[in-house]
Amino acid sequence: MSQKNNQEEENWKQDFPYHKQNAALVGRREFAKMLTLVSGGLAFGCGLVAAKANFFPKSPVEGEHFICTVEDIPLGGTKSFVIEGSTIPYILIHLEDGSFKAYEQKCTHLSCSVYYQPGSGQIICPCHNGFFDANNGSVIAGPPPRKLPHLEVIVRNNEIFVTGPEANTSV
Amino acid sequence: MSNFRTNQNNANTNKLNVILSTVIVILVMNVGLQIWLLYTALNYTLDNDQNVATIAFYASVVIFLICLGLLYYIPMGKKTKTAKRSAIR
Repeated sequence: MSQKNNQEEENWKQDFPYHKQNAALVGRREFAKMLTLVSGGLAFGCGLVAAKANFFPKSPVEGEHFICTVEDIPLGGTKSFVIEGSTIPYILIHLEDGSFKAYEQKCTHLSCSVYYQPGSGQIICPCHNGFFDANNGSVIAGPPPRKLPHLEVIVRNNEIFVTGPEANTSV
Repeated sequence: MSNFRTNQNNANTNKLNVILSTVIVILVMNVGLQIWLLYTALNYTLDNDQNVATIAFYASVVIFLICLGLLYYIPMGKKTKTAKRSAIR
């Protein structure tokens, strides 16, 4: 009976060592094996990204969608909209040169909502001071890693429509 | 009776320590490279460029295999003496 108690005590000590040094000790071999496990996890994650990119790509915006009339947006003004069947917020900008541009309203850094600064030609993310060029959506400054996704804008009979971007075209 | 291996070990007492440290440094660099690959693959995928993700995946798998191969070179210590084995931890 006492031997059994001793054995239990030893197991207990193994799991919850009395000395802090024993509890915190991670041998270099264990550390190396853990690094290899992390490496495997990263390779697996990369595989998931590749699978998502190749087999489940983001569906493009199809067809033309009416947004508003030209008179609804003054020069330098903006209008937020969501395309039917989608939850992605977009922003339609009436630039000072008279042209219209439509971008996703989510910053490419951490998805904060961006806004157009009238007169500056810049789209600004207030969360971490990201700046985008309102003419083409490219990053001017700040942490955003890539340009804002855009939509094609079509002005027809004083009405504004948007449609998905053509492949390999910039704004 | 001593042999070549015993003499080698006696002459280079710090050898296992250096090997283990080197393996860990290479593993850390490999993992860093994989983090960069994953970050780049995500960025290009979100920018609708699938090719980079595929290439990054292949590169990441190769690096993982290198890491696995490096585990072979982790020294297991001098098995005859428990004290020395725990000394290189």
